[in-house]
Amino acid sequence: MKRAAVFLIAGTVCAQIFAPGFAQIGHPPVNADAVVIQDFEKRVAAYLQLRKSIESKLLRLKSTPSQEKIAQHGNELRSAVREARKNAGPGDIFTPEIAAEIRRLTATAVQQGDGDHIGQSLRHAEPVQLHLEINDSYPVDRVPLQSTPPSLLENLPALPSEIEYRITGRDLVLLDAKANLIIDVIRGLFS
Amino acid sequence: MSAEPIFMRAVRFFITASGSRRAILFLGILAAVVVSADDLPLKKDSVRFAVIGDMGTGDKAQYEVARQMERSRETAMFDFVTMLGDNIYGGNSAADMKKKFEDPYRALLDAGVRFYASLGNHDDPNERFYKPFNMSERRYYSFRKGNVEFFALDSNYMDPHQMDWLNKALHDSSAAWKICFFHHPLYSDGRFHGPDTDLRARLEPIFQSSGVRVVLSGHDHVYERIKPHGGIYYFVLGNSGELRAHNLRPSSDTVRGFDTDRDFMLMEIAGDQLYFQTISRTGGTVDSGVIERQ
Repeated sequence: MKRAAVFLIAGTVCAQIFAPGFAQIGHPPVNADAVVIQDFEKRVAAYLQLRKSIESKLLRLKSTPSQEKIAQHGNELRSAVREARKNAGPGDIFTPEIAAEIRRLTATAVQQGDGDHIGQSLRHAEPVQLHLEINDSYPVDRVPLQSTPPSLLENLPALPSEIEYRITGRDLVLLDAKANLIIDVIRGLFS
Repeated sequence: MSAEPIFMRAVRFFITASGSRRAILFLGILAAVVVSADDLPLKKDSVRFAVIGDMGTGDKAQYEVARQMERSRETAMFDFVTMLGDNIYGGNSAADMKKKFEDPYRALLDAGVRFYASLGNHDDPNERFYKPFNMSERRYYSFRKGNVEFFALDSNYMDPHQMDWLNKALHDSSAAWKICFFHHPLYSDGRFHGPDTDLRARLEPIFQSSGVRVVLSGHDHVYERIKPHGGIYYFVLGNSGELRAHNLRPSSDTVRGFDTDRDFMLMEIAGDQLYFQTISRTGGTVDSGVIERQ
């Protein structure tokens, strides 16, 4: 009886963890979450390849005492990426499927034991109210960067270095930190 | 009766009795004795450095703290400065870098003092390419001085890449002293921000398991020395340029606090001892002490 109860609990937990992630019965057992995340990673990688290819045509930015050179490199890189992505729209990278997955993962992170820490971290940072569009740059000279809680980052799909999740008011943006460029947005992720 | 009225009466008597020039000399000698009583030991071959946080305003107060650092360096001869973030507030054009960094610290830079920056929430992440900040083009990095290894972190974005790097770098380090510095404090009684408990939950276990002894942060524009947690000494120093006066609400965690003026810190590591001295914009010693290596 006791063993049966253990199996029942284990089965329920497994069902809650895996059920949303698998395709419907009758289809091959593919984890749907994994497919969505893989697709997202491909889109991010494609963006990064584009940016790197643009960057390779510019003079390489190296450590320099000249702030003008740093600013000039940033401006050139931003302009070229904007031009290459002038038709980019919401959902190109944050597809509806990955946006839904990120909403779910964020809710999970907040509901877990880390939730209090994440909430406090967000409140104690310098909350910003910004409405940014794709191809905008983050106005760091006017508005401080909101730090992204590490527990949240741990729950979200991994990103390559220099591509970051940033919180701007109620939105989550995907920021190319090197080019300082918003590459996609999920609206209203945070209440 | 407190010592201050007696001292002031003595000064008044001295001025009356001996004229103002002698009085000034007397006060100068007295001030030198008082200050030197708290000075670091300045031992041979020790590692000496200064610490500043939230300084990049370009305002008069930042320049005055910088002057005080120059004066301290005449005796302490520190080689480098760690920066706890918010290095440059507002615009970050070449003119801004000059006004908010190069000009205030000109004498120190000219003397060969190196500055090592960490990024605050007001900093452009591409400050990592600005050579005088010695970040080697990285948001987070480490460097070694003698038997001390310093770990500069980007607390704005503590992603798994950085966590993995930090965990490995700290555990691989053979340095006798490991010091971490970054912007957002894990402990703080500053009312405006307070501690980042999410960051604390992630970082503190790594710090404790790898033998970090001292953690330096800014963000709250006050000075506070926190009671050690798990053998780690936490300092908040976010008032080397900015100041949020009377913003500290001391708790049972507070060992020493200062929120009425700007300051910076001097640190000296000699063998198994780390000496620290916090010095105000006007040259007074706000706090001092010794930390033993574990």
